[in-house]
Amino acid sequence: MSNGNSENADQDRGNVAVADGPEKEGAAEPAVDIESLEREGDIAADYIEGLLDIADFDGDIDMDVEADRAKVSVVGTTLDELVGDKGEVLEALQELTRLAVHRRTGHRSRLMLDIGGYRDSRRKTLTRIGTEMADEVKRKGEVKELEPMSPFERKVVHDAIAGAGLRSESEGEEPNRYVVVYPADD
Amino acid sequence: MLEEALEHLVKGIVENSDDVHVKARRLRKGKVLEVRVHPDDLGKVIGRNGRTAKSLRTVVGALAGGRYVRVDLLDLHEVR
Repeated sequence: MSNGNSENADQDRGNVAVADGPEKEGAAEPAVDIESLEREGDIAADYIEGLLDIADFDGDIDMDVEADRAKVSVVGTTLDELVGDKGEVLEALQELTRLAVHRRTGHRSRLMLDIGGYRDSRRKTLTRIGTEMADEVKRKGEVKELEPMSPFERKVVHDAIAGAGLRSESEGEEPNRYVVVYPADD
Repeated sequence: MLEEALEHLVKGIVENSDDVHVKARRLRKGKVLEVRVHPDDLGKVIGRNGRTAKSLRTVVGALAGGRYVRVDLLDLHEVR
């Protein structure tokens, strides 16, 4: 698929500036229609809201469609237990919520769940880390391996590194998969 | 509250939600939540490599706030 200009250089050619931002995973997939994504959001919101009611958590639920995915955010002040250490409870809840959506729609869902702004703040931190790592690799010209991260976290870091014009890959097995950053002339 | 929360989580992901029953049993050092589901749904609540079961346990553990809670997933007709 050619899009008329040469922003999507397949090979890394050193200091080629990436004008169009980071490469998106699955960018070639057809766009999903907004209506079914909104339905995903509704089902997910019901599922999560039911849990909040039972467990007596105060939280408002926002729904959104972001980058071809439904996004459901629980906003509130005392939701730390639902995020957990390194977001593990949040990941578990997202997994269950996707299954709840799948049961009702028959389609596998890529819905994103956020609680207490965890993903947004994590994204900022990881973008900064990714950019810093890219700078370090540019400076030293050496391959750099990062700490193990979740799929969501690796995605954010890959995007930041691509945004800085370098190439990165994931290596290792879950749950210890980690990002490797390559210098430009590698 | 935990039983109810777990029941809600499981009912939302199975086909036969009317067949979901959660019973709490007290242990000396905490409690067990026995979840019974329709035989056709057992694979679903366990998930590939036990992934769904793990997610359910993680969430219930978080709601239990550090108290020991075991979650057992059983077929509706399983006798114990």
